[in-house]
Amino acid sequence: MTATELARRLGDPWDTANPAGHTAVLAADERGEPFGAGEQILDAIGLNAEFVPADLGGRLARLDDLIRVMRQVFRRDPALGLGYGASSLIAAVNVWTAGDGRQRRRAADLLLGGGRIAAGYHELAHGNDFAGSALSAYAGPDGRRRLDGRKEVIANAARAEALVLFARTSASPGSRSHSQLLVERADLPAAGCRDLPRFLTSGMRGVLLGGLAFRDCPVPADAVLGEPGRGIETALRSFQITRTALPAMAVGVLEAGLDATARFTDARVLYGRPLGDMPLIRSVLADAYADLLICDCLGLVAARSAHLVPDQMSLYASAVKYFVATLLTDAMYELSRVLGAQFYIRDGEYGIFQKLLRDLPPAGFGHAARAACLGTVLPQLPRLARRAWRAGDVPPVETYRLGGSLPPLSFDRLTVTSGGRDGHSAALTLALDAPDVPAEVRRLLHIVAVEFDALVRECAALPPGDLSVDARPEALDLPARYAAVLAATACVNVWLHNRDRGGEFLADPRWVVAALRRIVIRLRRDPGPRSRDQDRVLAAEALARHHRNSGFGLSDER
Amino acid sequence: MNGSESDPLEPGLGHWLRERVAHYAQREPAEIDPSANLTSYGLDSVYALSLCGDIEDRLGLVLEPTVAWDHPTIEALAAHVEGMLTDARRPQDAG
Repeated sequence: MTATELARRLGDPWDTANPAGHTAVLAADERGEPFGAGEQILDAIGLNAEFVPADLGGRLARLDDLIRVMRQVFRRDPALGLGYGASSLIAAVNVWTAGDGRQRRRAADLLLGGGRIAAGYHELAHGNDFAGSALSAYAGPDGRRRLDGRKEVIANAARAEALVLFARTSASPGSRSHSQLLVERADLPAAGCRDLPRFLTSGMRGVLLGGLAFRDCPVPADAVLGEPGRGIETALRSFQITRTALPAMAVGVLEAGLDATARFTDARVLYGRPLGDMPLIRSVLADAYADLLICDCLGLVAARSAHLVPDQMSLYASAVKYFVATLLTDAMYELSRVLGAQFYIRDGEYGIFQKLLRDLPPAGFGHAARAACLGTVLPQLPRLARRAWRAGDVPPVETYRLGGSLPPLSFDRLTVTSGGRDGHSAALTLALDAPDVPAEVRRLLHIVAVEFDALVRECAALPPGDLSVDARPEALDLPARYAAVLAATACVNVWLHNRDRGGEFLADPRWVVAALRRIVIRLRRDPGPRSRDQDRVLAAEALARHHRNSGFGLSDER
Repeated sequence: MNGSESDPLEPGLGHWLRERVAHYAQREPAEIDPSANLTSYGLDSVYALSLCGDIEDRLGLVLEPTVAWDHPTIEALAAHVEGMLTDARRPQDAG
């Protein structure tokens, strides 16, 4: 299944007669139901196979391919993307990382048969402090483990055939006291396991959020994934894949938002001329489009890094989750200002926009909150700062070559820290010295490099109290700035390594100038006066992509 | 292994680790009990990972990043790291 084929099956979103178009998506959202016509299409193409590694009979071979396919789903209906698919992926990566042969086979068969696996991590009382999880799975008098406690706000809790549950398996303090358990609903006695009422939400209304309450509920002896006590490590490793992939999939939401806004600016005539001809409107479109390209670069580079430099993903995955979620949310808000009252209206031609706007926030707090992601990166920064941060080994150039070949994805090479390595930052230095770089690109890169040097000094001087949850807000700004530097590195290297092979738009340095300007602003530095020409080029490209009903990313392919 | 700054088998390793733990816990080294679990000083999983990085950088070793999760006292951690150093030093043909 290619992304192009899926986009074709989903059809024209603007056709009100399309059973999978915006009108139908909105109707399902109003009813608070999963989008049935969308689920049927995904069933028909066997979407779940995208989440199953190829060696287990699925189609998961490359993370960038998975993202491209899922982005189509998120572009049509984010609730479908999360509720039908990504929630099973979040659960499954635990099995692919820590499960034994039998558990992997079982999870693969379940998904390939069209089933779902719910990710049972969240407890409302503990939020992102998953080590604080209270659900326990201690051995009972007969030696079998028994579940006691609850899991809440779990996608598909009631309809999933299986669950991955994160539970305390030892009362000892420290980081070896939790485990994941893969349990099938059919194996849980009804007396020990009760469904909680559905949680109602402001967005993602088509996702069936439920929960489970367990009481002295026995589980099969072979339920624990891997060696008992490895749960925190398994979560930190396997979620590097989903922290990378989910925000990159959610770029589809901004694509749909940009598509709707471009349509609106094209159709609306104010003061005798199309809205899209006003410099202010053009600048908003251009900025949102530049933000989308930044997210695309960072997401794709991180996805390719998972194959090529998996040992460094503990840095990149969390930085991507933070930065991409932030850019997407802010860009959608800016676009909403262009639509004016239309963004607030729940039906009609542009009703889809308010739904997209409501559906997007979980990208920022779902799975792992942005602050938790910054907290994963922050304690690694002082060590990087003590070593030769910008002089390390750069990642292979294939990391930046879109669509280029990749070695297989190895879950067993993901580790909880990067061990003081960060190749992408070294690639920033290399880009500064690259030949044939336009002066404007170099000037903006230089601002980023100066900012990075300041960051290195501040990280080296970080007091020990700032490494944990007691960190000062100023300390948490360091990984946020680091993420911005990483985004700049990704953008400039994607441009450098694809300018002779990626088509006319990708070769034009104006998009990378626009992207770097946006990043420099995020770093709270002045990028200099904006160019009308650049706004015109980017806004015109956004309109052209809308007219062609194509993708809004680095490539116009779907 | 390479690049060690001092002879790691001297009693210095435990002493140095105690100083690092005191640094992270923001206490005096004398207040740190080498047989106590690191968590008793408020050092969570994150500090344990940082401690591992410190050991790697000081001794030029490559360790599992989670080494201090599996050996959560100064004594246990020092014994484990010293064991690794001894193994690394043993002539390869002696096994």
